[in-house]
Amino acid sequence: MKLTRRQTLASLGLAAGAGLLPRLALSQDAGIFRIGALNPVTGAGGPYGTGMQKMILAAAEMVNAAGGAGGRKFEVFAEDTQTQPQAAVLAAKKLIDVNKVQAILGTWSSGVSLAVIPLTNEAGIPLFHCSGAPALSVAPANGKKLGYRFQATNDRFGRAFAEIAKKEGFKRPATMAFNNASGIGNTEGFTRAWTAMGGEVVASVVYEPAQPSYRAELQKILDAKPDVIVTGSYLADTTIILREWFQTGEEIKWIIPAWAANSELVKALGPDVVEGIISVDSISNEGSPAFAAYDAAYQKAIGKSGLGNVYAAMAWDMVIVLALAMEAAGPGADVAAINAKMREVANPDGTKVSNFAEGKAALKNGKINYEGASSILDFDEFGDVTPDFAASFIRKGEIKREYQVKL
Amino acid sequence: MTSFVELLLSGITSGLIIGLAGLSVTLVFGIARFSNAATGDTMTLGAYGALMGTSLTGSLLAGGLIGLVAGALSAILAYLLVFRPLQNRSPISSLLASIGVAFFIRAVLGLVFGHDQMVFQMDLVRPFRLLGVRIQPNDLKFAGVAILTLALVFVVLHLTPIGRRMRAVADNPLLARVSGIAPRAVMFTLWAIAGAVAAVAGILLGMKTVVSPESGWDMLLPAFAAAVLGGIGHPVGAVLAGVIIGVAQELATPFVGFTYKIAISFLVLLLVLLVRPRGLFGKIEGVR
Repeated sequence: MKLTRRQTLASLGLAAGAGLLPRLALSQDAGIFRIGALNPVTGAGGPYGTGMQKMILAAAEMVNAAGGAGGRKFEVFAEDTQTQPQAAVLAAKKLIDVNKVQAILGTWSSGVSLAVIPLTNEAGIPLFHCSGAPALSVAPANGKKLGYRFQATNDRFGRAFAEIAKKEGFKRPATMAFNNASGIGNTEGFTRAWTAMGGEVVASVVYEPAQPSYRAELQKILDAKPDVIVTGSYLADTTIILREWFQTGEEIKWIIPAWAANSELVKALGPDVVEGIISVDSISNEGSPAFAAYDAAYQKAIGKSGLGNVYAAMAWDMVIVLALAMEAAGPGADVAAINAKMREVANPDGTKVSNFAEGKAALKNGKINYEGASSILDFDEFGDVTPDFAASFIRKGEIKREYQVKL
Repeated sequence: MTSFVELLLSGITSGLIIGLAGLSVTLVFGIARFSNAATGDTMTLGAYGALMGTSLTGSLLAGGLIGLVAGALSAILAYLLVFRPLQNRSPISSLLASIGVAFFIRAVLGLVFGHDQMVFQMDLVRPFRLLGVRIQPNDLKFAGVAILTLALVFVVLHLTPIGRRMRAVADNPLLARVSGIAPRAVMFTLWAIAGAVAAVAGILLGMKTVVSPESGWDMLLPAFAAAVLGGIGHPVGAVLAGVIIGVAQELATPFVGFTYKIAISFLVLLLVLLVRPRGLFGKIEGVR
């Protein structure tokens, strides 16, 4: 290859120009904090993802309207995880490398969060998620303490299951878990809590996904003559297992997480099969002022009640807590300094606040404690929160909430 | 003991579905000479076809027939557009192309029907007891359909002129050609049968479990295992091997743990091939 003098000069000029670009970008940056809204718009999380993304946008707009946080305004880049780890990793790479986001908010399934968190750790930015897997609490996934969970861990779900099983007077529970971190987390959490109460689990099975039949698994459980079966399961396998169980003719009660025991399950099996199933879900901080603010925003964006999407309330809180931490860390603070303020603005002792503007004002007079829309939002040492739970019963094809459970 | 018999029955039903899928793989292998990785997704397509058919006609039987036709048509289409242009290349080209066809079918199904599960609305019935053993009427129906399908395939293969020609091509393509057997009719029939058999397997699987774009792909490994175990290219072998795999999985897992369910089928495969490398029914010259 032969270069003319003109080409050489041109290429040198380009190189110099390219060298300037990042600096130019930085100088525009002073007043902007970029966040990635990485949500399950399609795939298994599809019923929740759109609402989550819209709430991130709405909350960011609200913070910006209140004058921004720590002197900066949010700029949101929205992406779809497709509820698949591969797609989520590609999207996260794009958010980090191309959009240069400084936090990623709103991953949903455990598989996705476990796949994305190494990337956010590598980039040194926080990941706020709604996943249940216990592995997300500790190293290596949360080795840098940059991961925050706005949903209950599967372990806490298990504890809620145990409380409900006790309240319902069951004596001989058995467990069935889908073989992944979330499924096993649920049933192990239940077993731990149940044995701590002095109870005994009569049988337990961990099963593989995508099998043509779960008859052998069921048989093992049924042979132990349990009075209730507690599951850590998903919709598809729950559908197959319940259908096979019903065809065995055995009478048994079920306690199933709400992401599996939902209206889709009723539709798939019909009211006879699902009669009496107890569906357990974490619930939002209903009745709080923060929830009312979120609910209004949700109604405006989606046209439905915010009660139907607990994850959208979590997404809403993600933006507000981040903004409050930025405000507390002061103008120009880097991500590490902001991260250090997370518990300071959300956990007890400070003045209770329920929205950003209120918190921003109260921060001038000392510490604050944001009480969120999704829960009272107090992070433990692992970055986990403890929401309330609700037990719903399926009767005549309708899922009705009957009581709340506080851990 | 009764629970042992119940598991055996359940294993036979699952095994017949695996066997049907294995039959589709082995038929294509015997005549078109490559492993068709699109078999699993043809199953899924058949199941969706049957779902659509059922909601259109209101009858499970008519819906099933529509699904079967959909499976056959899609296989013929794949042959015309993809496998025929590749038939003079190495079998690896066709194998790779079939993986592409599999992805294509799955993506189209995902696009059209979404990724949420769909189910056949069937009456769930409580079992009746025979000598203390619980027998589920739906299982009997599934097994009946599977056996009927197998019988039809064997009638076509062994009692019709086109079946004889297919077997001739499977035996020795060159000799068949010089004997004046036109390959075109043979290939069309082969793909129609392979597609329809896969569709039946997919429909039965869908009725037993749930239908989602990935459901057939998940069955591909056991189907391949059945085809290999039965002696590649041998229809009876594939079906029998499917049943063996199904039964082995159901019976062995209570003892070794359910996490190893999939491993069991491959352990059986391994053991048989160690003792009998050509598979249960394979001919020695059939081993390449």
